[in-house]
Amino acid sequence: MALNRKIAYIDLSTGKIEIKPIPLNIRRKFLGGRGLDAYLLYNHTEKGCDPLGPKNTLMVSGGILTATLASATARTHVMAKSPLGGMIGSANMGGFFAPELAWAGFHHLVIKGKADRPVYLWINNGKIEIRDARHLWGKTTTETQWAIREELGDDDIKCMVIGPAGENLVRFANVMTGIKNSGGRTGMGAVMGSKNLKAIAARGTMDIKIAHPKEALEYNKRFIDQITSAKVNQTQGTLGTPFIWGATNSWGGVRCRNFQYNQELYCDEIEPEAIDEVCTETIGPYHMAGCFACQVHCRAKYRIPTGPYAGAYDEGPEYTSQGAFCGEPDCRSMETLLTGNHLVDQWGMDNLETGSLISWAMELYELGILTDKETDGLDLRFGNDEALLEMVRRICFREGWLGDTLAEGGIIASERIGKDSFNYLIQVKGVSNLHSDERATPALALNVATASRGSDHLRSRPAIDLYHLPEEVLRKIYSTPVPYNGPLSSEHTEYIGKPWQVFWQENCYMAVDCLGICKYHTVFLGATLPNFEDWPKVLYYNTGLEFTPREIWDIAERCNMIERLFNLREGLTREDLVRGDMLNHRYFDEPTRRGAPDVVGRVIDREKFRKMIDEFYEYKGLDRNGVPKPETLKRLGLEDEPSHLL
Amino acid sequence: MGSEKEGLSTAESLRKTRTYGQFRCHNPSCMGRLQPQPGVNHVKCPACGMEFRVAWIKPNFPRIRGPVWDVNQKLAEEAFERKMKEEKRDGVK
Repeated sequence: MALNRKIAYIDLSTGKIEIKPIPLNIRRKFLGGRGLDAYLLYNHTEKGCDPLGPKNTLMVSGGILTATLASATARTHVMAKSPLGGMIGSANMGGFFAPELAWAGFHHLVIKGKADRPVYLWINNGKIEIRDARHLWGKTTTETQWAIREELGDDDIKCMVIGPAGENLVRFANVMTGIKNSGGRTGMGAVMGSKNLKAIAARGTMDIKIAHPKEALEYNKRFIDQITSAKVNQTQGTLGTPFIWGATNSWGGVRCRNFQYNQELYCDEIEPEAIDEVCTETIGPYHMAGCFACQVHCRAKYRIPTGPYAGAYDEGPEYTSQGAFCGEPDCRSMETLLTGNHLVDQWGMDNLETGSLISWAMELYELGILTDKETDGLDLRFGNDEALLEMVRRICFREGWLGDTLAEGGIIASERIGKDSFNYLIQVKGVSNLHSDERATPALALNVATASRGSDHLRSRPAIDLYHLPEEVLRKIYSTPVPYNGPLSSEHTEYIGKPWQVFWQENCYMAVDCLGICKYHTVFLGATLPNFEDWPKVLYYNTGLEFTPREIWDIAERCNMIERLFNLREGLTREDLVRGDMLNHRYFDEPTRRGAPDVVGRVIDREKFRKMIDEFYEYKGLDRNGVPKPETLKRLGLEDEPSHLL
Repeated sequence: MGSEKEGLSTAESLRKTRTYGQFRCHNPSCMGRLQPQPGVNHVKCPACGMEFRVAWIKPNFPRIRGPVWDVNQKLAEEAFERKMKEEKRDGVK
């Protein structure tokens, strides 16, 4: 059964490998995936350790439902202390790796130490082998995966790998599986690179016993119908995630020219329908693909139609690539979008961080803070497509002063650049904001400010806040499984009720990450998608474990708190601009200038924002400084952490 | 199972609120439901005046492809100018 999947401790310094079962009491407290990884990180990483040193511990996992009969359990989670922000590092990707790892016998890997040469892990039906990877060093992400398959003689092997960026310790290098599935945020690829770990390869044929297979299948039909009948998922299945960026840009909710504007104008060439046309032309009418056990199929397949990379195959681009290579640097070329997306996929870099930092550098260049001396003559003005792609290359290979500087991430780069460059850096906890502009949406601003892994939309964003749902609909969603009688507002510019929505979403997303399910299958972009009340059935039919919706909520709250404990141990301070739950001053001081009439002229009100934080902390059981109260830790069963039980 | 709630979950019960064949105006405070005629490629929101280009996921499933840039940009500029004047007069709200 799913619950007999093991945890493996791998010490790359000594070569020692230890395999253990995951006790049921641990499962009941943390389920699996991100939640259990957070427990492991807190227990296996020393305070203040160098994120790129051998004492940092890297976790790789699937959720408790991974590879069962449940839908969309494709997600692989990777966690360590982040080399980008020095706080919690966490990245989550789709594809096929975590299910294969589960069939090979494992749900969790805990990787310590540093190999004395490049290596990769080969995990096959309960066995783990550390193999030489010197011949793989320098290869791109796809070259690496195919080389491993060829070497081991099995085309069905699934790998998670790093590219040259991870090898070069670019602090926002990602981990990749397949063509485009990326554990992008917080530099987990750099952590792998620092351990000389080029790849993890998995292949498994070990059965997973389903507790109640007939009921699991029957219930899954109901689940699938709920998922696939949603308009948002039908749109995703036709256009992929670019429709999200397109819709957000339409009303003025994306960053443009770093943070000067909140909408990219006249960008028809990169609208989702235009991308769809290119995909259709280059691949054919059936160009949408899906991850393991998913019915949404949001991944577009394409070939770059023109330019120096013409004919190259890739997948996506995700909406994050539109932000990174179009909106933020104000480039409007389809070729640039598809090429930029391809380069970061091949070299293994976080598209969001890459595009954000280059756009920041572009603003500094236009302000004269950076000059031709620092750019080695590169004309780094906004809208320069060639300069944008050249900077992607320089960062990956740490070429030139600016390439090497940006490869260190925004915080270190701002210290090197000096002057008042930091004031223009749009980041939280050292992690660049994604492509969205939250000045007109206080709920979303609260989300990015308080997200555990730094500025992030996938930790607590109440995206449905933008839909103007009737208050009774909001109340129905946000009052389950925990009663909530406070205010709720359909108005996206309001501050009241938003802290509860963010708190609810934080627990919702954590639960999903513990289960191993994709967020497009819960209340992220669609109000009618499954959540707490639906998951107990899926869990019971597949694993035999009984939980109430409230118990799943409690687990999620516990896991979020242990992430908070980790961040506090690493120096989280409420209003610290580098290590706090705080936003760049531009959110408060510079009004939006573009978009829908009710969006222009907006800033976040400082005092109201502080009150939102206070209220959010109260829901979480934190004091005014953001530190958990003793009774909160007791209620969540965390008073003895780190407990070193696993 | 003991913990199973009978009947529809919250998510399932909200399914009846879905509106096929319509989309919402992209002005977040307007969000008027617009129902374009089959096959049209342009729509104007009667409530707020924003104009959009329309695409079709399926013959009965429209979506907003993007703004009519000139029209909506003009609305944005007017709104910005008005709000800045109000702010100057009344202070920051």
